[in-house]
Amino acid sequence: MKKRLVTAAVWIGLSALTLFLIADAFGRHEPAPQVVTFDKLHSLAEDGRVTDLETHGDRVVARLTDGSRAEAMGELDEALYTELTEQDVPIRSASVDVSSDSGWGSLLTTWLPALVLLAILYFVLKRSGMAAMALRRGRHRLVTEKTNVRFSDVGGCDEAKRQLGDVIDFLADPKRWTKAGVRVPRGVLLEGPPGCGKTLLARAVAGETGARLLTVSGSEFVEMFIGVGAARVRDLFETAAKHAPAVVFIDELDAIGRRRGSGVGYSNDEREATLNQLLVNLDGFQPTDRVVVLAATNRGDILDPALVRAGRFDRRVHVPALSRDDRLRVLEICCRAKTLAHEVSLAALADRTDGLTGADLDTLVNEAALLALRRALEAGEPATTLRSEDFVRALAQREDVRGRLGSVDATLVDSSWKLSEPVGSARLRLTLSDGAGIEGELVWADATFVKVRRSGRGGDLVIPKRQIRTVEALDGGEVSESTKLRLTQPWDAGRSS
Amino acid sequence: MNENWLAERLTIFVPVLLSLSVHEWAHAYSAFLLGDDTAEQQGRMTMNPIAHIDPLGTIVLPLLGVPFGWAKPVPVNPVRFDRKWNMSTGLALTAAAGPFSNFVLALASIAGIAAVTHLVAPTHSLYQPAQQMCVTTAFVNVALGVFNLFPIVPLDGSRIAEALVPYNLRGAWDAYASIGPMLLMGVIALPALFGVSLLAWPMGKTMELIALVTGSGL
Repeated sequence: MKKRLVTAAVWIGLSALTLFLIADAFGRHEPAPQVVTFDKLHSLAEDGRVTDLETHGDRVVARLTDGSRAEAMGELDEALYTELTEQDVPIRSASVDVSSDSGWGSLLTTWLPALVLLAILYFVLKRSGMAAMALRRGRHRLVTEKTNVRFSDVGGCDEAKRQLGDVIDFLADPKRWTKAGVRVPRGVLLEGPPGCGKTLLARAVAGETGARLLTVSGSEFVEMFIGVGAARVRDLFETAAKHAPAVVFIDELDAIGRRRGSGVGYSNDEREATLNQLLVNLDGFQPTDRVVVLAATNRGDILDPALVRAGRFDRRVHVPALSRDDRLRVLEICCRAKTLAHEVSLAALADRTDGLTGADLDTLVNEAALLALRRALEAGEPATTLRSEDFVRALAQREDVRGRLGSVDATLVDSSWKLSEPVGSARLRLTLSDGAGIEGELVWADATFVKVRRSGRGGDLVIPKRQIRTVEALDGGEVSESTKLRLTQPWDAGRSS
Repeated sequence: MNENWLAERLTIFVPVLLSLSVHEWAHAYSAFLLGDDTAEQQGRMTMNPIAHIDPLGTIVLPLLGVPFGWAKPVPVNPVRFDRKWNMSTGLALTAAAGPFSNFVLALASIAGIAAVTHLVAPTHSLYQPAQQMCVTTAFVNVALGVFNLFPIVPLDGSRIAEALVPYNLRGAWDAYASIGPMLLMGVIALPALFGVSLLAWPMGKTMELIALVTGSGL
């Protein structure tokens, strides 16, 4: 209703304004000149009643002494002209009149057609969408941020941290490096499986040095139009130089850094142009520029050789899947702000979570905390404490954990969680179907796998149950029934009980 | 270029604004009747010109005195039509609604001319302004309606034509559609260069109709 009132008000206002303006304009109009013959006009001139005369090409308009006007069709004739010049009556030509009008008017009449054509061109381009796409080229956002992520927030990745330490030193004090004659590490390539902390490391490098972080994804450089990607690369490096000290982080480098010309039967000129620009910009740093480029990829093998040659991304830092100790540290970091019940053993959880990445662990802890919160709310407890059952349930919920168990159906997975509770210290010797013998401590067992921590320097080993032929206890005692049960496949267990 | 400059410009501007608003509203409203509320959700189903303004096509050109303009296109999503009509027919209907509304508006303003001519005293101060506004509105609407019916791709007429093109000729239509913008440029620029008007016939007819209702050659 209100909308309609607004609409009505707009129209009534506009129409009223126009009507009254026109009415006003008409009101000022002089009455139309009286049409007379040339003879009449001549006699009027002889009487001295003409004060002023205007020629309009094929007609003349005379102003008379009483203020009215007289118009005669035809051109100004000789007799009338001499008569009027004798009386000193001004004679003006209307065409001269137009050009002596305000400069704006003539400008507009001269340029109007051109303006209209330009406007129409704009209209056509806009409607056909070409202009819209061309304009989008400039609309690309670069965000620089300050982070306060520190290395201590990154669990594990010790080797990566050690190698990145050099970069941090450089950003903190570049002069010392140049004085010592050491070539500056320009680019560092972080390589490793997804979710292991490459992005987090880049943020930590920026956070440790207080440098600005510019995050872009390789895929942002990939566009329909030739030249856009390259322009963005230039833009990126200019922005970084402006904000120095800065860390440029290019995520998913393989989107642009793919080996050139490797595509069979096609080539992608735009991507190659972008890559070339990136190579040039990596070379183009001044030694004093406090800009470091970190790039992340999980396909280091397909990168263009020119990109990883010495002087560009020459330092390749491997960010591997997490080891048990790394997982423990990640879990500790994730649980820093949370209250844990005493029975929760993060060490046991780290043991249990083989193959999970840092991101997985973070999600896992978060899920557990969510479950704990829900439980606390239901029980009406004021504080939220994470119990081990929360972790077990969160682990069971992890879709990817189920995925890792392959085709085993969901009920079996559920039953396996019951079986995979930590089993205490049982030292066993397992004989596998290929004859190999393994000695060690049983860490956990689930529906399909058993994890054994080998004595000495052997490390942990996850063994598929179906490969186990015999089990014997090493402590001299018997292997308990329950332990045996855990080491047999669930369907066997079901049969024996 | 004198004191009635603004009045002159407004006599073009207001009718163009009105025709464009009604045109876009008709697109939005017809789509709404067919079940697509995209335009309604975006607040385009209104005759309020503010919702439809395109700075250049709706403000600058009409104020320069050019009786030509365009507004922001109203989005129509045929997927959201209910299935009383098939999608291409529905799309053609929404496209046709715009020019149709302009013809209705033109007829209404011709009726307005008749009413003013016969009901208002010629000496009244609003007699001539009102008559002139109605005449401009009629001409602008006829021009806009006819021009939009040209089957050239960004225009409404092309949507109607597209629905009429048999399926086995759609490939050819697409090829034609790709040269649409060029064609549109040509259709606008060439008659202007050669001093002929493609709209001469409908404009002439409108003039005759106006003369008929006023009982005189205006």
